[in-house]
Amino acid sequence: MQISTEELADGVTRIALDGRLDIAGAAAVDLKMNVAAGSATRLLIDLEKVSFLGSMGLRSIVLPARAVRSRGGKVVLFGANEMVESVLKTSGVDSMLPIYHDLAAALAALK
Amino acid sequence: MPRETASQPVPSLTIQSRLEDLALIWPWAESIADGHAVPADTRFAIHLCLEEALSNVIRHGYCGQPGRPVTVQFASRPGELVFTIEDEAPAFNPLCDSPDELPTLSSADQIPLGGQGIRLMRKFAGSLAYQRLASGNRLTMQFSIPR
Repeated sequence: MQISTEELADGVTRIALDGRLDIAGAAAVDLKMNVAAGSATRLLIDLEKVSFLGSMGLRSIVLPARAVRSRGGKVVLFGANEMVESVLKTSGVDSMLPIYHDLAAALAALK
Repeated sequence: MPRETASQPVPSLTIQSRLEDLALIWPWAESIADGHAVPADTRFAIHLCLEEALSNVIRHGYCGQPGRPVTVQFASRPGELVFTIEDEAPAFNPLCDSPDELPTLSSADQIPLGGQGIRLMRKFAGSLAYQRLASGNRLTMQFSIPR
């Protein structure tokens, strides 16, 4: 499981995850996710390259996202594949973290 | 236990109750999926349900105690794969102890992280069945596959 961070225009932080967000993958990125989301106020979590998502992976996404939102920030999810999106919807996470498949729309939602 | 051939995985696998040991399950499950031409979405569902069920046994059934056995068995029937997980933990029926529906929440930030495993299994497995054993639990998960 790989994680990378990029600062985009308009103060948007993009965290890109690459790999399987299973128990092992979640453990590998938990700390880095929290650090990367640390001071973000506009966070885009890029799931385009996430091939698997389980409940521990959900925690890895939700907990840092909650921290951002608690500071008054905004968080969106981008690029989830069909199965990953199904996990997000089944868990109800999409009600807190909206899912976008169009990057422009995702960035607009963070304004 | 039958010996594994180069092309057929063994029908059961026993791991110890450590989350790290889950890594032993995936190559085995993938070889089963390969042998039955399981499509990608169903492989995802199988991996998801096995991970959720096994982590529940390890973290909740055995309360994180290492060195306890968890056995996963598989069987195939026309049009389906069946995975059965057996442990020696105290009685716990995951199918009775978690709600089907998400609770009504006053704030979206209250999305519960607990209980998600069971909710995901209900969604992604074709069917689930629980049985209390003499000294443990058995959870059976069925997945439909192309005939």
